[in-house]
Amino acid sequence: MEVRVDRARCVGQGMCVLHAPLAFSLSDEDGCSEARFRTVPPEQEDAVRHARNACPEQAIIITE
Amino acid sequence: MDQQRGTKDDPIDFDHEAPDHAENWPEEFRELRERCPMAWTRSHGGYWLATSYDAVVEMARDPETFSSHKTFDPATGTGSGGITIPFTPIPRGLPVESDPPEWDAMRGYINRRFAPKAVEGFRQNARTFAAALLNRVIERGEMDLVNDFTGPVPAIVTMQLMGLPLSEWRQFADPLHAMVFTPKEAPEYLSVVAGVDWVFQRCAEEFLRYKDLPEQDGLLSYFAHQPVNGRMLDIGEVLSLSNNIIIGGVDTTTALTTHALEYLANHPDAKAQLMAEPKLVPFAREEFLRVFTPIHCLARNVKHDTQVAGQALSEGDRVMLVWAAANRDPAVFDRPDDVVFDRESNRHLAFGSGIHRCIGSSFARMMFEEMLAQMFARIPEFEVDYARSRRYRSVGTINGWETMPIRFRAGAKVACDLEL
Repeated sequence: MEVRVDRARCVGQGMCVLHAPLAFSLSDEDGCSEARFRTVPPEQEDAVRHARNACPEQAIIITE
Repeated sequence: MDQQRGTKDDPIDFDHEAPDHAENWPEEFRELRERCPMAWTRSHGGYWLATSYDAVVEMARDPETFSSHKTFDPATGTGSGGITIPFTPIPRGLPVESDPPEWDAMRGYINRRFAPKAVEGFRQNARTFAAALLNRVIERGEMDLVNDFTGPVPAIVTMQLMGLPLSEWRQFADPLHAMVFTPKEAPEYLSVVAGVDWVFQRCAEEFLRYKDLPEQDGLLSYFAHQPVNGRMLDIGEVLSLSNNIIIGGVDTTTALTTHALEYLANHPDAKAQLMAEPKLVPFAREEFLRVFTPIHCLARNVKHDTQVAGQALSEGDRVMLVWAAANRDPAVFDRPDDVVFDRESNRHLAFGSGIHRCIGSSFARMMFEEMLAQMFARIPEFEVDYARSRRYRSVGTINGWETMPIRFRAGAKVACDLEL
C-alpha cells in the first residue's frame, strides 16, 4: 500500500493525525499534512485507511 | 413545512435567524435536505440554502465560482458580498472575506502563527488561565459555566495571541459574547456595540504603540513590524485581520465546550468513559464539533451562472452553506443525530472546508482539551440550573448558550501563578 497527501486539496483539517499519528504530520508553516512515508508499513495500513475516510477534503490518496 | 420546490418561483419559507428555527433546526434541516437540498428563500433579500453534505463541500471547494469577497464603503454604510446574510455593514474580515490571490497573501502571512506547533506554545498558558478562572469560583460551589469559564478562557488566550493586555479580559470578553445574542431592538444593544468598538479601538491603539517598540510576541506587534508581499499593512487591514481572528476565536470554542460539558453532565456513562480513557477525548471532541457545530452556516456569492444539486444559480445570487446540516447528513454519517465517540470516519465540516477552513482550529482543539481537563479534575460533577439557563435565541450566528448557571461541591483553590 502506498499513500500520499494531495497538497492541492489539503487545507489542514488535521483529522489524519488524529487517526494515524505515526503516518502523517502537520506542517509548522501552514498546518497542512504530509505523509511520513510513501510505502505504508503493514501495521499502519488500517490507521491510514481510517485517516483517508475521515478526511473532509478527500486529500489522502491510497494506492493498493 | 409545506411542499415548496425551493426554486425562485416556488421558494421555501425559511430564515436561519428566526427564533422558531433555533427551536427545531435538526428537524427543519432533515426535512429540507431530503426534499430540496438547494432551496431558495426570500428572507434577507433572497438566498439559496444548501443542506446536503455534497452540495456544501462542492461550493466550499470552488472559490472561483463561490466568492467570499466583501466590499464596504464606510461613508455610506453600504457594500456587497462577504460571508454573512444579511450583509453586515462593517469593514470586512481578513483573510476570510477575500478571494485568491489576495487570500493567498493574507492567509500565508498569518498561517504559521496558527499551525499546531505554534498553538502548543499556548497550551501551558491556557491551562493556567483555566485554573485561575476556576480558583475565582471553586470555593463558592456555583458559577456561570459560560460567563465564568468557557467564555473567558478563549477570550484570554485570544488576547494573548493578539498581544493585548490580559488585565482587560473582562471588558474584552463580555461585549464579544453579548454581541452574539443581543437583539438589535434591545435597549442594551447600543452599549454592546460600543463595547465591541472599544475592543477594536484597543487593537488599533496597541498596533500603533507596537510600531515604536522592538518586535515582540503577539500578532499586533507582528503586524506592526512584518511586511506582507513587501509592503507594510495599513490600519484598515490590521483591523480586518483582528476582526477575523477575534470574532472567529472568542465565542465559538465557548459554544462547543459549553455544549460538550452540558452533554456530559446529562450522560454520566459517557463522562466516566472519557475520564477513564483520556485518549478518547480528541475523538469525542470531533463528535461534539459535528453534533454541536458552533458556526451553523456561512455565505458565499455566486460569480457566474452555474448548477448545484439540480438548481440553477445565477450570477449575483447569495448562497448559505449550512455546515450544521451537512454534519447530520445520513448519506455520510450513520445515526447522524447521536453522539458516537468511536465513529470510524468523522468527516465533519465544523471548521468549514476548502481554502477558508477555520485558521484557528488548532487553538479551538487545544482550548477545548484544557477546559475539559480542568473541569474533570476539579468539578467532575455539577448540576445545571436550567430554569436560569438560556440558549441563544437565534442559531444564525452561533449555536451556543448565553448563560448556564451550575452548582457543584465547593472545593479548594489550587496553586496558580496567576490571579484573575
